[in-house]
Amino acid sequence: MAHQAAPGANTRLFHPGYEGHSQISARTLGFWLYMLSDALLFTALFAAYAVLDTPMNAAGGPIASQIVNPVEGFWQTIIILASVTSYSLATVAMKNGNRSGTMLGIVVALVLGAAFVAFGFNDLASLAAQGNGMDRSGYLSAYFVLILTHALHMIFGALWMLVMLVQIPRYGFNEMVVARLLNLRMFWQFQATVWVCVYIYVYMIGA
Amino acid sequence: MAGSHSDPLAHPEVRMGGALRYIAGFISTVALMGAALIVTMRHDMAYQSYVELVGGLAFLALLSQAVLYYGLDISKAQIWKSVSLILTVPLFIITVGLTVWMFQSLDHRTMLITTTFQQPTLLQ
Repeated sequence: MAHQAAPGANTRLFHPGYEGHSQISARTLGFWLYMLSDALLFTALFAAYAVLDTPMNAAGGPIASQIVNPVEGFWQTIIILASVTSYSLATVAMKNGNRSGTMLGIVVALVLGAAFVAFGFNDLASLAAQGNGMDRSGYLSAYFVLILTHALHMIFGALWMLVMLVQIPRYGFNEMVVARLLNLRMFWQFQATVWVCVYIYVYMIGA
Repeated sequence: MAGSHSDPLAHPEVRMGGALRYIAGFISTVALMGAALIVTMRHDMAYQSYVELVGGLAFLALLSQAVLYYGLDISKAQIWKSVSLILTVPLFIITVGLTVWMFQSLDHRTMLITTTFQQPTLLQ
């Protein structure tokens, strides 16, 4: 049995240069735990939405059935899932060491993600133009905050993709780039997971 | 957790990716959401039954994503992600469930007007 020093004041939980660690595993698990806490943020927003989703909280303004269209939401669902699939296929290209295939998959995911966000902002802008902005009622505040929080996550993911499109040709598939690409895959997939919940709860049950 | 790898592309989390799995994830999630959309557009179910059916389809879609996209399983490379998710899911349910339950109680005890409601929601 190998000798193990007793834990003490000088014990280090993690050492970047230690051969026994897998940097990629440590980074992806850490990012996964961040995502679970991010999911709790969305859980709080869903709880607020559930509470405010009554005609009384609409204060005379529109309720869910008057502002959401399940068919339009379905197209958005297909777009975001296609974007996630494209990014996932990019990581398959990465597995094969194919830089151009990886970058192509990321670019397609980026374009589809931009289309998804554009759809969402168009809906919100139309509502606001009709006088139904987020300050119109408690219900609309919850609706706007839920949709905008998701959109902000998407925009951050898109910016991250742009950074990776620079880092892949510059550094190649080194340990850090691979860990970042894997974390971004989880993050991008997480947006589709949240959207499925938004679509089911807001666009379908509310319709 | 997996051990150290000199080639990052040999890491288990890189090797687990597969085109067929991701395409299966896309098809299954779209199919489940399509089924939920059809049920929604038909408008021929009682509200409670409708919520249970659509909720069940959503659960299957999320399960499909967890297995096919995230690749969660009980392998050495994924076990701690799976465990942490299983431990966190009750927090999601408690957060939403308790909030809705508390405000439902509050709503029933303090609000007088209920006849103008046009459609049921989780609070009612």
